[in-house]
Amino acid sequence: MTMLATLKNGTGLTNGVDVPSQPQPLAGFGNLLRFMVRRDRVRAPIWVASIAGVIAASAASMVGLYDTPAKLVEYAELAQLDPALKAFAGPGHGLDDPTLGSVVMNEVLIYTFVIIALMCIFLMVRQTRGEEETDRAELVRAAPVGRLATLAAACVWVTVVNTVVAVALTVSLLAFGLTTMGTLAFGAACWGIGMVFIGVAATTAQIASSARAANATAGAVLGASFMLRAVGDLDNGWVTWLSPLGWAQSIKAFAGEQWWVLIPMVITSAALATAGVALSARRDLGAGLMKQRPGPAEGGPRLASPLALAFRLQRTALISWAVGLALLGFFFGLVADQAEQMLESEAIAEFFAAADVGSPTELFLATMVMMVALIATGYTVSTVLRLRSEEIAVRAEPVLAAPVGRRTWAIGHLAVSIVGSIVVMSVAGLSIGLGTAAQLGETGNVFPVLGASLSMVPALAVLAAATIAIIGWFPRWSQMAWLGVAVSAVAGLLAETLNLPQWIRNLSPFEHVPAYPAAPFELLPMVVLTLVAALVAAVGLFGIARRDIG
Amino acid sequence: MSIAISLEDVVKTFGSTRALDGLDLEIATGEVHGYLGPNGAGKSVTIRTLLGLLRQDSGEVRLLDADPWRDAVELHRRLAYVPGDVSLWPNLSGGEIIDYFARLRGDVDTARRDELIERFELDPRKKAGTYSKGNRQKVALVVALSSSAELLLLDEPTAGLDPLMETVFQEYIISMAAEGRTVMLSSHILAEVERLCDRVTIIRHGRAVQSGTLSDLRTTTRTSIEITTDRPAGGLESFSGVHALRIDGTSLHFEVDSSALDAVMNHLVPFGVRSLVSQPPTLEELFMRQYGDDLIAEETEPAP
Repeated sequence: MTMLATLKNGTGLTNGVDVPSQPQPLAGFGNLLRFMVRRDRVRAPIWVASIAGVIAASAASMVGLYDTPAKLVEYAELAQLDPALKAFAGPGHGLDDPTLGSVVMNEVLIYTFVIIALMCIFLMVRQTRGEEETDRAELVRAAPVGRLATLAAACVWVTVVNTVVAVALTVSLLAFGLTTMGTLAFGAACWGIGMVFIGVAATTAQIASSARAANATAGAVLGASFMLRAVGDLDNGWVTWLSPLGWAQSIKAFAGEQWWVLIPMVITSAALATAGVALSARRDLGAGLMKQRPGPAEGGPRLASPLALAFRLQRTALISWAVGLALLGFFFGLVADQAEQMLESEAIAEFFAAADVGSPTELFLATMVMMVALIATGYTVSTVLRLRSEEIAVRAEPVLAAPVGRRTWAIGHLAVSIVGSIVVMSVAGLSIGLGTAAQLGETGNVFPVLGASLSMVPALAVLAAATIAIIGWFPRWSQMAWLGVAVSAVAGLLAETLNLPQWIRNLSPFEHVPAYPAAPFELLPMVVLTLVAALVAAVGLFGIARRDIG
Repeated sequence: MSIAISLEDVVKTFGSTRALDGLDLEIATGEVHGYLGPNGAGKSVTIRTLLGLLRQDSGEVRLLDADPWRDAVELHRRLAYVPGDVSLWPNLSGGEIIDYFARLRGDVDTARRDELIERFELDPRKKAGTYSKGNRQKVALVVALSSSAELLLLDEPTAGLDPLMETVFQEYIISMAAEGRTVMLSSHILAEVERLCDRVTIIRHGRAVQSGTLSDLRTTTRTSIEITTDRPAGGLESFSGVHALRIDGTSLHFEVDSSALDAVMNHLVPFGVRSLVSQPPTLEELFMRQYGDDLIAEETEPAP
């Protein structure tokens, strides 16, 4: 063995094959993989435990809620008529002859797919493009590490996490006594959707030149998959088959399993990962496939304050969120008329006549507004968190070394979050209203839905304020701000499924917003939420003003 | 003489690390002050405390007769800062960033900005994400040097610049010093410090270990002497201030403590001095003595 080879083995960075004339694109794979496990040793278990925990808790609660066949039939009848449920929960495979398994699937299936896809995207991008954005990837690649080793190790590592999630889900559902075949199909579909989005992220991480953009592009693919299958499910059409989420739900767990849908998922995953590898083998380190254009030689006169800079930095994000939610909202609006079908069921008609929840259409619209708001929490919180990433990247330092107060600096980003939330919710609300108007041929719902959307803003502001408070007082734990999003999502989407006690639901600011137009509008909750947001934000700003920066 | 910067017994801890451990520092108005120390000595922590980004645990910090923590915003109108590791927004062009900071400061001098961009050969249209380390550094330098700030806080400002650009930087500092502006220059480039600075402070482990003008510092250390005499000179071994003596016939090479210089020269003159080369200690030697405890211990022991 040559001395060089001994040295290499000493640093542990080769696979020990001493053939210097070959390119060795995977050299260093094992060490990179071990290092990824080390870096994700907290993050990955949190993902696995939260996903498996919420789903297991949902199953546990539903075992109690639907303990007689009559209750299952009652649920299935409503679910098959409710367009909101179809849009968010899928077509309801197996609800013709409901079992506990098919009812649980109808409640949690799509959400589980979405959260697993998000997990795979975030973990993949973090280990690939995220590293490349810093100088760390350069150091790694300067060691005897092959060109493809990082991407390959990331794919393998996230596949391991994805597999653990799928197994954990399967085991926990089996523990609640769901039938074996259906549970296995559910686990397999979860695994398959994770694999598809590992492939998606492996590709977007090569195309985009920043982790933010790579996450956003992969997230857009997920959003499109969601929309396509929702369109298909509501129209009972072929459109569902254009979506990986559509394939996954078509495994028909607990409803006559169609195992073959795993094939397109695995093929897509492999094809996308191969595409990622091919792109990665051709491009320069640090480069994306989108060319950098030169910018202006001078700054515009308006770029003169931290607020202006914050808007400039977040412009693309704001436009993307607004466009995405506008599309989603318009689609929701188009299908709103299906809500009236629910009255075909006598039981439901009686329910609507007795309960004070407005018409089915109004209830549907209120639900859709809530959905849009829950998605918009992603914009609201990530925008405020930019404050912390600016600090970590040492870009806050020169700004604060200029005559700029810390509060002014922080309020700039907070303002982008709040104003952006107003913009996003207005656009989304208007789109829901216009979609409804286009379908029903009347514009009566446009303003109520716009109003309902804007009434979500104080709740979004509470999350923004909570984020500022965490950044101000516990800067190292800033990512905990996502807990606010998680609590709101669980309380908003799974409160009934989980049979959550009211005090937990009350932790979500959205719980306090009246479900206008299904419920009468109330001003007081808006005022209270706004005051809470202002107070919490003030506490956060005080924290930022008194702590060390950096 | 008014004082621009003063730190008295300043302590700053991060967990169990004492980054500043009773630091004393005084910089007079109009002075160019070199701030030296090994990596991790606490140089950047000092500057970030002066900027009000960090708050000291104890001790007194005054900057331009104000409290850098409480009066940060007002003070920042009067100073400019160049960090050692400049991080910029990758999507903005260099020109946009330069103008942004100028507008934040509220003093935009377009002519001087354009002049600096030209002198530093910076392409302001390029996105900051494509800049090299040196070019990012230039962006921060253009911002600071085009300002009318009365105080410049420079934390290794030329790290990453090529020698040509370093010269441009030095020219600007010399002319700004001539205008009476105060400069605090933390640097590892000793030739630069030697050329620009009136006074120097060396810190180690968060404490100032030496402070003064360069000639003050030189008196605390040794001069190296190379001398040829008519007759072989003897007896130098008995001087305690003489080190590293090497005798080569009538030529002598040795280092002598500044305090013993006078006595040694008097001893040698009777032997008939034919040629004499004397070298004052370079800043590098001063520096090495202060930095490398262990190194010095090794070197001083075996005087042959």
